[in-house]
Amino acid sequence: MDTHAHDRRHFLALTAGAAATPLLAACGAGFGGNDDKGGGSAADDVTGSFDWKREKGGTVKALLNKHPYTDALIADLKSFTAQTGIRVEYDVFPEDNYFDKLTVDLSSGRASYDVFMLGAYMVWQYGPPGWLEDLGPWMRNSSATGDEWDRADFFPNLLQADQWSLKDGAPLGRGGQYALPWGWETNVVAYNTEVFSKLGLRPAESFDELREIAGVIKRKAPGAGYDGMYGIAVRGSRSWATIHPGFMTMYARNGLRDFTVDGGKLKPAMNTPEAVAFTRDWAGMVKQGGPPSWTSYTWYQCSSDLGAKKAGMLFDADTAAYFQAVKGASPASGKIAFHPGPKGPDGSLATNMWIWSLGMNAKSKKKSASWLFLQWATGKEHLRRAAVTGNHIDPVRKSVSQDAAYKDKMRHLPGFIETFETVVDQTKIQFTPQAQFFDATTSWAAALQEIYGGQNARSVLNGLAGDLAAKVD
Amino acid sequence: MTVRKRLLGVLADAALILYFVFALFPIAWMVILSLKPANQLFSTYFSFTPTLGSYRTVLGDSEGIPFVRFFVNSLVVSVGAVALSLLVGLPAAYASARWRFKGSENLMFTLLSFRFAPELTVIIPLFVLYQKLGLFDTYVGMIWVLQLVTLPLIVWIMRSYFADLTPELEQAALLDGYTRKQAFFKVALPLVKPGVAAVSLLAFIFAWNNFVFPLILTSNEAQTVTVGALSFLGGDRPKYNLTAAAALVSVVPPLLLALTIQRYLVRGLSFGAVKS
Repeated sequence: MDTHAHDRRHFLALTAGAAATPLLAACGAGFGGNDDKGGGSAADDVTGSFDWKREKGGTVKALLNKHPYTDALIADLKSFTAQTGIRVEYDVFPEDNYFDKLTVDLSSGRASYDVFMLGAYMVWQYGPPGWLEDLGPWMRNSSATGDEWDRADFFPNLLQADQWSLKDGAPLGRGGQYALPWGWETNVVAYNTEVFSKLGLRPAESFDELREIAGVIKRKAPGAGYDGMYGIAVRGSRSWATIHPGFMTMYARNGLRDFTVDGGKLKPAMNTPEAVAFTRDWAGMVKQGGPPSWTSYTWYQCSSDLGAKKAGMLFDADTAAYFQAVKGASPASGKIAFHPGPKGPDGSLATNMWIWSLGMNAKSKKKSASWLFLQWATGKEHLRRAAVTGNHIDPVRKSVSQDAAYKDKMRHLPGFIETFETVVDQTKIQFTPQAQFFDATTSWAAALQEIYGGQNARSVLNGLAGDLAAKVD
Repeated sequence: MTVRKRLLGVLADAALILYFVFALFPIAWMVILSLKPANQLFSTYFSFTPTLGSYRTVLGDSEGIPFVRFFVNSLVVSVGAVALSLLVGLPAAYASARWRFKGSENLMFTLLSFRFAPELTVIIPLFVLYQKLGLFDTYVGMIWVLQLVTLPLIVWIMRSYFADLTPELEQAALLDGYTRKQAFFKVALPLVKPGVAAVSLLAFIFAWNNFVFPLILTSNEAQTVTVGALSFLGGDRPKYNLTAAAALVSVVPPLLLALTIQRYLVRGLSFGAVKS
């Protein structure tokens, strides 16, 4: 799961601390020493024919987040060591504080971890200070990268999501490749088939229908034997993670943008008349059909409510529903189906996503071995095993998504494969890349809460846009 | 009058019981959560089939989380930190209570200032230093850094205990031929034993509950329960039952310690409250 419960105050405090580190270095404290080899990439040092055993006997240290994708990776590490002769040492940290740990580690300029998990949004924060190795030269070097890695096998939107030119507002898909997609989540609607059938409902095809269905469930489900059930679970806590799943997906399907870029300058766009109307409707939907204590809702509550038959629908990461839907996981197991969710007015199924990616520490002294690890971990063989025998739910590779064994495994979940295949090509990062992302989206979530609390949507969003304009300027 | 008194007594009891329920409810709720099976975690409040499965999972190091190791780590670093702080802090507290020397107040203020600054403001330089000195992810490193938490507490609280002791007792001992060291160990220290017990418990609880230092300055080897217990929340589903079980297990050492030294604790906390 993504860093939905990520603590903003910690993150900001650590970022402030991180900002102080270069000052300490300048004062001669010896922090953040630069071990780089001038301008070129260390990838240029790898020559000759590609050899998995090139770094035999070496070790790579990995920082990982506690996650089912991680479990699948750890279970398969023996095959990496057998293939390369490289040993992997790893530390696994809890999700809530994983990025605090990673931020401190990277900002210290030490190479305590060679490789680590990160999200595509984190590239916007870790990339500009030079903490992330550009993997492009490694990918392009045929001596460093085996043919079977097959870059073209990745879904293009996923690979592009980790590629950026490090300039605020510049589109993704250009510039350095600062991480590799490893596992991801698309944001769609999961619903309780039993309730839908009892109330004679069908999954919503438009946002208006979604709002109406959410209200109908909240009004009628308790009387139909689903005590305390409400219509739709969406996140509502004062966190950046509230904006990025269902809200941003529906926002993008309505053709709306977070920022516009004019002459390289970012201009907040969440206060356009269309954005104001949408945001008002979203808050209205939550009031009519959402959970009673919505402002505290993270993915924990959303996912759990779907599984506990407290929510009729969930508009969030497909993995948040998957782990409630599998056999024996929850009271709603076997009664959860997947749907792409409402289309935008022009039929758009633009979807926002979270990608767990793997990156390399720019200060690593074991870059060649680290690249072999990244290559293996994002390669076809491991990802296929992780998808078929582990819980690597949404494959980043086309070949794995089409694999018969993977499809057999997922087929018991109604609509999962169809939904995945429907939205995959339209799923991408719908935000404008910029270093203030976490601060901006947290403020956006706070504005959403204020509108939910009854304040005027236009004035709240105008205030938000004014604040953000000063911040991103 | 008697009826009114009785009524007031009953009302006071009722208010106390209400407060008792209010104060204990979060703990009761955690106990309930820890006894719930996973599939009834969110669907019921009080009516469920109780199971000790969560405790078995947590203590059996299942889910890939070595909780027992984290627990032992917490014990080692907390006991170590308190012991070291007592060793250094008691003489320091005694000295600062008995003598004024140049810079003594500044020294004491500096010590206290360790408690003002948020840990996050110093964590990055500490992290770098620990990496360079080889203290990262070690018991020694954790015991050392926890001195920032336990030492100021012990020195400042014990300083007031020593200051409340009349110096005539030690002077009498000195007249009888005791050395200053003997006067400290055989006269002053036994008299503040309840205070030492109370402050040790407080320092232990603060060290045990510390989160930021073990999060940043340890990895798998010296990680403590405060960080480790959170691991049960992430991943595929929020496992509140396991988190609650882990949290309840981690409450046991401070609770046992408090019960064991309860006799000293009450005396220690009320010591010096009334002056003749």
